Parts: sequence; C-alpha cells; structure tokens
Amino acid sequence: MTKSISTTNVSASAVNRATYLKHLLTQASAAADESTLPLKALRDQAIATVSDHTFPSGRDEEWRFTDLSDMLSLPFQRAAKGTDAHQLAFSAVQSDYQLASLNGHYRSSDSKTLKQAGVVVAPLSELLQSPDYTQKLEAIVSSRLAQLQGAEEVFTALNTAGFTDVMVVWLAADQVIEEPVCVVRESEGEAIAHLRTLVIAERHAKLTLVESFSGTGEATRCNTSVTEIWLAEGAQVNHVRLQDESAETFHIAKTAVDQAANSRYQCTAIDLGAKLSRHHLEVYQSGPQTDTHMYGLSALGDRQLADTHSLLTLIHPHSSATQIQKNIVDDKAHAVFNGKVFVAQTAQLTDAAQLNRNLMLSNKARIDTKPELDIVADNVKCAHGATVSQLQPDEVFYLQSRGISAEQAQRLLLYGFAMEIVEKISIESLRQSLSDRLTEWAQ
Amino acid sequence: MSSSVQSVVSQPYKYGFVTDIESDSLPRGLSEDVVRAISAKKNEPQFMLDFRLKAYRRWLTMEEPAWPNVKYPPIDYDDIVYYSAPKQSEKKLDSLDDVDPALLETFDKLGISINEQKRLANVAVDVVFDSVSIATTFKEDLAKHGVIFCSISEAIHEHPELVKKYLGTVIPTGDNYFAALNSAVFSDGSFVYIPKGVKCPMDLSTYFRMNNGDTGQFERTLIVAEEGSSVTYLEGCTAPMYDTNQLHAAIVELVALDNAEIKYSTVQNWFAGDENGKGGIYNFVTKRGLCKGVNSKISWTQVETGSAITWKYPSCVLVGDNSVGEFYSVALTNNYQQADTGTKMVHVGNNTRSTIISKGISAGKSKNSYRGLVQVNPKAEGARNYSQCDSMLLGDTSNANTFPYIQVQNSTAQVEHEASTSKIGEDQLFYFAQRGISPEDAVSMIISGFCRDVFNELPMEFAAEADKLLSLKLENSVG
Repeated sequence: MTKSISTTNVSASAVNRATYLKHLLTQASAAADESTLPLKALRDQAIATVSDHTFPSGRDEEWRFTDLSDMLSLPFQRAAKGTDAHQLAFSAVQSDYQLASLNGHYRSSDSKTLKQAGVVVAPLSELLQSPDYTQKLEAIVSSRLAQLQGAEEVFTALNTAGFTDVMVVWLAADQVIEEPVCVVRESEGEAIAHLRTLVIAERHAKLTLVESFSGTGEATRCNTSVTEIWLAEGAQVNHVRLQDESAETFHIAKTAVDQAANSRYQCTAIDLGAKLSRHHLEVYQSGPQTDTHMYGLSALGDRQLADTHSLLTLIHPHSSATQIQKNIVDDKAHAVFNGKVFVAQTAQLTDAAQLNRNLMLSNKARIDTKPELDIVADNVKCAHGATVSQLQPDEVFYLQSRGISAEQAQRLLLYGFAMEIVEKISIESLRQSLSDRLTEWAQ
Repeated sequence: MSSSVQSVVSQPYKYGFVTDIESDSLPRGLSEDVVRAISAKKNEPQFMLDFRLKAYRRWLTMEEPAWPNVKYPPIDYDDIVYYSAPKQSEKKLDSLDDVDPALLETFDKLGISINEQKRLANVAVDVVFDSVSIATTFKEDLAKHGVIFCSISEAIHEHPELVKKYLGTVIPTGDNYFAALNSAVFSDGSFVYIPKGVKCPMDLSTYFRMNNGDTGQFERTLIVAEEGSSVTYLEGCTAPMYDTNQLHAAIVELVALDNAEIKYSTVQNWFAGDENGKGGIYNFVTKRGLCKGVNSKISWTQVETGSAITWKYPSCVLVGDNSVGEFYSVALTNNYQQADTGTKMVHVGNNTRSTIISKGISAGKSKNSYRGLVQVNPKAEGARNYSQCDSMLLGDTSNANTFPYIQVQNSTAQVEHEASTSKIGEDQLFYFAQRGISPEDAVSMIISGFCRDVFNELPMEFAAEADKLLSLKLENSVG
C-alpha cells in the first residue's frame, strides 16, 4: 500500500484544549472535595469519563457551530461561596417552595424547603443530615442521580465530577403540588460553578418546576448545569427554564428527562442572557404513550450565541411529541438549533412534529439550524420544518395602513412572534414578567 | 407494514450479465507510477499529468470521510484496477462497424441505441465501457451547431484550451477524498461545450457500463454552457452482478455562464447487491454545478435506484446574480442498500433562488438518508430557498433519515424547509381494492404519484423508464 496512513499532527490548539480540560477537571475535583457529599464512586466514574474526552472543538459535529475557543484563555477557578448578602429571590414567581444557590452553593437563608413524608424539596447536603432521609429515600436518590442516559457527554460528566450540591425535588406517588417549585441560581465573580438539580416525580405525581439562571456583575464566568428529571408512570412535570445570565457568562446546560408510560413532560426554555449559552435537552422514553412538549425561545443581540440541541428518543408505541423552537437574532448574534427525533422500530403510531422558526433582524446575525429525523417505524406520522426570514414587509405595511408607525408595527410583530412560546408557560405572573421583558427587548 | 404490503424480494437485476471481452488493464493498486501510466496510455499533454499528480499527492494526505450515515468494510485501494479498457485495434475507429461486435451486443442488451439503424431517437449518446469511451453518436450533426460532444480524452487532445480553462474549477482536486482520487486516476467521461447563444438541438446522453469485476470506474464529466446557451443532459448506468463490491468514484462539473441553462438528469441503476446485501457498487460521486453568470440556471434531477451504497450530493454554487439552482431527487433503497444523498445550495450572488424536492423510499432493511445544505452567504441579498423532503417507509425494518443543514448569514434571506414521513395506508389500498385494483398496482400507482414532482422534471423517455424501474425494484414488495 503506497498510501501512507497520515499521522495526525497534534496541533498546538489540541494540546491547549487537552490542558484546559484537565484544568477544568482539577477545579471540579477540588470543588467536589470541599463539598461533604459522599459520592466518591460517582465522582471517580465521572472523572474517568472526562479524562477520556477532549475539550470540544469545531471539528466535533455536536459543536460545529458553537465555538468554545474563547473559553480557552479563561482559566476559571472553582467558585467560592459568594459573599454577597443580597437576597436571592425570583421576583416573577412567588412560591412556598424555593431552593436558592449562589455560585452553586446552597443558601438556606433564601430558601423555603419542605421535608415531609410525601414531598421533598431540599438540597442533598441538608437532606443527608436530616432524620427524614430514610433508607428508602436514599435508595431512590442514589438510583437516579447521574443515572440518566447521556451522562458520558463531557460537560455532563464534568458537572458530575464537580457539583457542590444537588437540589432535590421528590414527589411520592399521587402527590400534586399546585405551587411551582423554584430553583433559583445566581452567580457572581469570576469563577466556574457546576449546578445540579434532580427531580423525581413518582407515579401520578404532578408538579411545575421553574429554574432560573441569572448573574450579577461584568465578570467572565462559566456555569455548567445539569437537571435530571424522572417521570414515573402517569406523572406530569411542567418545566420552565429561564436563562438570563449576565453578559460575560458561558452557560452550558443539559436537561435530561426519562419518561415512563403515560407521563407528560413539557419544557419551556427561554434564553435571553449569557455571552454563549447552550441547552441540551434530551428526552428518553421508558414506557409507551408518553406525551412530550418542547418549546424554546431565544432572543439575542450584540454578539450573543444561543445553541439549542434537543434529542427525543422514542422507543415505545403510541406517543406524541411537539417541538417549537423560535429564535430572534439581532446585531451580530448567532442562534444554533439542532433537533433530533429518533423513532425506533418499536415506536409505532408515533405522532411527532417539530418546527424551528428563525427571525433575522440584522445582516450581521447568523442562523445555523439542522432539524433531524431518524425513523425506522413505518406506521408513524412525523414531520419537521424550519424557516429563516425577516419581518415581512407586507405585514408591516398592513399595520401601517391601520395607522401604526412602521417602528411600532415591527415591535408588535416581534412581540407576537415571541409570545407564542411565552404563552405556553402556565404561571400567570411569569408570563407577565416575560412579556414586559420582551417588550423592553424589542425597543 | 402490516398484512398487505411487505418487503420481500425485488425483481432480479436484469443488467447483471458479464460481457466476455478481452481487456487491457493496468495491474492492481495505486502509486505515482500508476497515475503516470494512465496518463501515458492516454497520451496526455503535460498539464494533465501535472493535474493528476497534484491530485494524487493531495489524496495521500487526506482521510476517507467517516460522517456519512452508511456502513461498509474498509476499502483496500491497492486491490482495485484503476484502468481497464476493452482491447481494440490501435487505430482510431472510423465507424461503428469497427467496434467489437460483442460490445455492440452488450449495449443492445441494455437497450442503448448506438447502432446506426437505431438512431431514430433524437438523442446523442456517448457510451463509456469500463473506463473508456466507446462511441459517441451524432457528432457531426452537433458540430454543425458548434456543439462539442465527445469523450473527455478526446477533448484533452482536441480542445486542450477549454479543458485547461474549466477542468477542476468547480470541484478542485483536493475537494474531498473521492474527488481527489478521481482527479488522479480518472480514465474517461464526457465533455460537452455549448457555444454562445446555442440551444443544443438534441438531448445529450452518456451511458456508463462497468464490466470488469475488479475495476473501479472513475469517470469525469465536464459540461460548459457559454452565454445564453442551453443543454439537456442525461446519464444512465448499469453494471454486472459480482459478489464483490466495486468502487465508482465519479466527478461531474457543470459551468453555466450568463443566461445559460443546464439540465442534468441521472437514472442510476448500478448493481445494488443481492437480497442479502452481498456485492454491489459503492457509488461515491461528487457532482457540482457552478452558476457563474447572471440569470444562469442549473437543474439536477436524479433517480437513484441502484448501488449498494450511494454517497452523492449534486450541488449548485449560485454565484451569478439572479441565478437559479434546482434539485429533484427520488432515491429508492431496498434490501440492504444504503443511500446518503441530497444536495448543497450555496447562495453567493444577489437574488439567487433554489428549490429542493427530495423523495426517499425505503424498503427491506435499507437505510435512506437525505443530507442537505442550504447556505446563504453574508453578501447574498434576497436569497430564496424552498426545500421539501418526504420519506416513504415500506415495512418497519427500513430506515429514513433527514439531515438538513441550514446556515443563513443574511437577514434578507427566506429559507423554508419541510419534511414528512409516511407510509402507504391500509385505507388507501382498500380504496383501490374497491375499484378492482390489485394491491401491487395500487402500491405502484401510489409510489408513482409520490414521485410525480420529480418525474415531471425528467425528459419523457427517462420518466417512463424511471417509473418502470421503480415498480420493478419494488415488485413483490406487496403481498
């Protein structure tokens, strides 16, 4: 054979990326050592997983359009317990269940926990000390924490190696909480933090989960977030995710969901903040007849980048799924969408629809979208669509002909475009606050 | 699919015979010497040898792509015969009477009319057997209009200035692994040049036949349409049945200048392997059209029914303002066939438009993927794209995928993409049964309707052939 096998030159950037990932892992392990959680086996496994990976580059298909190379020059240190005494609160939603953390460290002063026979809303660090943490509950938590598929992805493993606490929400069978459970995540200072949430809804349990991510100050920082949600048979979880991080934040998040038979999961993810944000939403099925709704809205300006990756794996019959992802990009912003729907041979009678709509407001903005279908079952109804366009001049003109100024007409159309997603949120006060926020954004 | 529609075996491949003809082949394997030998055998000028060597050296540094959604054992590039030609007398052929009768018989069997008496159909044909162009019909008639239609080896000798100007301009030698390989070892193919303002008086066609069992076929087609000209081009292919896999790595380059129009249609029916997935052609093809001039138009139509593996993305680079790119495709896979096919539309000029219509039909245990790219560059004002890709699944063991990439960097662009997946419903079959139509006929009618948007784009004879081909391929899929 004359064609020599070309030895790939290990480029300087590859070395750079390897060292950087090693640095992140060291920081993660140090953070884990400082926390008192007895999770050595889990951590060791995660460390091994991270060590097998390289820091993603543009050559990885999953990261092709989301360039993380800016991070390489930022040697983030693990986050210390914040000193800021200001109250961590989520003004848009008032609730009796709230778990607050600053830089990933739990803040009991701003939290309202609940530990009773059928419902647990508490951080793992506190649970461990509590007499309510029965063997049964311990078994439930340890059989679910970091056990969802997709855990071998590098940032998820990094999160597992380095989280300082886990916000645990557990509902026993038939428990229904009307008020939303709020998980409030705030950050300050230049640091890297790994945020972890575990939600377990047992048989026919029902809850609304609101996650909010925000930050103060102009410091560059990085937050990785992993939220695992387990829905047992007939359970219902309505999940709202609000990402409004400060302007210099790298926000890399994963939401992994396991749906048993007849369960219903809805995610409404709103991305407004961060310099670079990535939300990887993965839904796995462990029973038939599930119902899944995935809604997303990114409204971006300046040089922001928001990347939504979703994976829906259907392996059982009679399920339905809808997905709508909307992106608005202005200035030099960049929106990325990659939605994968996999329908296995065993998932007959699936009804899945996926739509990605993008609105470009500036010529410097950029959209990269890739809706993906992978179908083996034949008796299914699957469709997807994607559009990219600007505001339609005839629609603006129509409004102008009714005496509305061109500028106002544009704002109105933008608002309408965005509100289709916001209206999926069931909490009135949050809808209102987002509506105000978007009106302001459209100015 | 339940009771009435099931994937069973398809019609035996009727073009699977081998012609026993003496051939003049180079030894197996690839090296710089082989590249030089091919060039020397064809008596090529220095610029061609340089072109080949540059490509070969580039190929050595490249890696075989791993991203397509297909699986195959590693290809041993040293076990392939890179050049094989039917042995003929050294002298140039004066007429078809000098062609080996065994060859003519082969093409008769295939239904290709290169015999004089059969030249009733108004189509000029260039026939490529293994690596060499055998005959080109209607040359004189075309020459009257200034149209050059000949094999590319002939063009290299007779019109070196044109070849030099355009060869490798659309697909550079290092474009991708298989393109580099082709650039290094390509043996023959067709060359078409339509002069300024000429509307080509008849459809042009190339027919490819792979005969030798160990040969790879590496042909190269170059079509240049000058200002205001237009041409319709058809391509067909078959190969004998062997239980080993053969490599086919072709390149097609199209160049359309101001106001020119090229319509390129393919009916691909290489041997697909048997029902157990043994044998068949690896069809790794690079096809790209460059809409260089303003208001130019390139339209690709393909009906892909053959090949064990298809890896093919006929693309349009829309550089000229107001240029138009079109892609119409039907890809049918059965048994163990794998297809990863689609298109790329790259919008560079202003007010460029593109349309993509892709229909995938998967039966048996096959895998059918649509992979497409719509790219709107930052300076392309007013670009417009519409894509539709529909899949039909026959049986629950086949696989349909879509991977559409949409990359937009200009806010005046309008891009739409939609995709759906469906099957033939029991209710549809019942409706036909009510009217006394058998399930077989019903399925064939439904499929033909499903593909209508694409077949409408094919020239008449080809459309009829394609329609027939699909029903043959799916014969007995209904039971």
